[in-house]
Amino acid sequence: MSKSSLFSLNQVLKKCFQNLENNQKVWNSALGECTSLVGSLGNLVDQLRALEKVKIVNTPLHTFPDLQERLNFKLLQALDIVLVKLADKLCSLQQVRDAVSNQVSGAFQLYEHNIDTLDLATCTQRSAIAPSIADMLEWLKDAERYYRQQFLRRKNVLQALRPEDLYLLEAVPKRWESLESPSGEERLSETLFTVSFFMESQ
Amino acid sequence: TSKDLKSETTTPGRKSQSVVTGSARKVKDNAADWHNLILKWDRLNDEGSTIANNIVNLGLNKDSHEKMQVMMESRDTSSTSVPENAIRNSSELEEMCDNLLSVVDKMTHIVSKMQKLVSSEKGIIDLETFQYGTGGRQSPLFQTWPTSQFADVSSKLYEAYNQELTLKRDILQELAHTTNPDLSMVYLSCWLYQPYVDDSAKLLLESLLLETGHRPV
Repeated sequence: MSKSSLFSLNQVLKKCFQNLENNQKVWNSALGECTSLVGSLGNLVDQLRALEKVKIVNTPLHTFPDLQERLNFKLLQALDIVLVKLADKLCSLQQVRDAVSNQVSGAFQLYEHNIDTLDLATCTQRSAIAPSIADMLEWLKDAERYYRQQFLRRKNVLQALRPEDLYLLEAVPKRWESLESPSGEERLSETLFTVSFFMESQ
Repeated sequence: TSKDLKSETTTPGRKSQSVVTGSARKVKDNAADWHNLILKWDRLNDEGSTIANNIVNLGLNKDSHEKMQVMMESRDTSSTSVPENAIRNSSELEEMCDNLLSVVDKMTHIVSKMQKLVSSEKGIIDLETFQYGTGGRQSPLFQTWPTSQFADVSSKLYEAYNQELTLKRDILQELAHTTNPDLSMVYLSCWLYQPYVDDSAKLLLESLLLETGHRPV
């Protein structure tokens, strides 16, 4: 009995890590797109601020009718488009968070289901190609937490942004940048590297 | 780009002709010209925007180098402010201003072609008045528009692009020697976002293409 539940748990763990690897790629791609959109957002906010400071009537462009209003409108329109795209990309990030969450909780459910047949010795046993079940479960939990936190923090920065809130918008690029977690990314990549033999094994 | 008439869907009110001749041919060709001219303008606008960005960045590099992340990531954000670069900078600046002038000249040429389209439409109306009297023709040339509407649309489009051209001309004059970074940024915004070519102008072009059958209904 113990052997077959061990086997199915290992299979599930393998699948978890494979999905994690795919999701990491999806996340990084979506995140890259978000970051460049945040850059565009920052640029547009700078332009709106500059327009605010400049009184067109005191410039060489004062002969142009309604220029201030027209340019303001166009910039706000462009800003609105960026915000819509950002909201869309945020959905992609959410999907990764949800997928990882589901996978990991599935693995834990199976583990708990078989807890009687899997003793401490079995769970802590590691081999040349396979880390211990305990370690792997821990790493999966870490990954799940990483994406959960990252998503929530990023969502918080982008939440409820409207083109009129220049003051709020101005802070977005810096706040976004501060959420970079190279150490978190590295840990995730290291984990995947560590389990790479296990993933390929029978 | 005119589509093959035989592949177009027939719509109510439209005469089932297999060949568009005379005034309708001219109007349809004009519509295609509008589309192509505006496409050319858009490309020049992008080109000019890049050059304008570089001009401003060159000017800004003289003092601060990290401020002012201008719209499109300019590839030559060299942050050296050493005097020996001054000579290179000023000849580079001159070259860029020449490039921008060249873009504006091409845009001027486009607007003069637009003006000819307006004249052409007016000529078509005059001809119609001659043929049918002041009431004009009984049934529309294409789907629903009276012939005067084509002239109206052409006029409005021309006004928009002409106004935009005037703005770009002024920006060209001011850009290289503006010291106020906010004003420089406003100039760049004006160039890129074209305040006088608004949504209604885009809509006019689309409706023109729809009416004359260049776009499927």
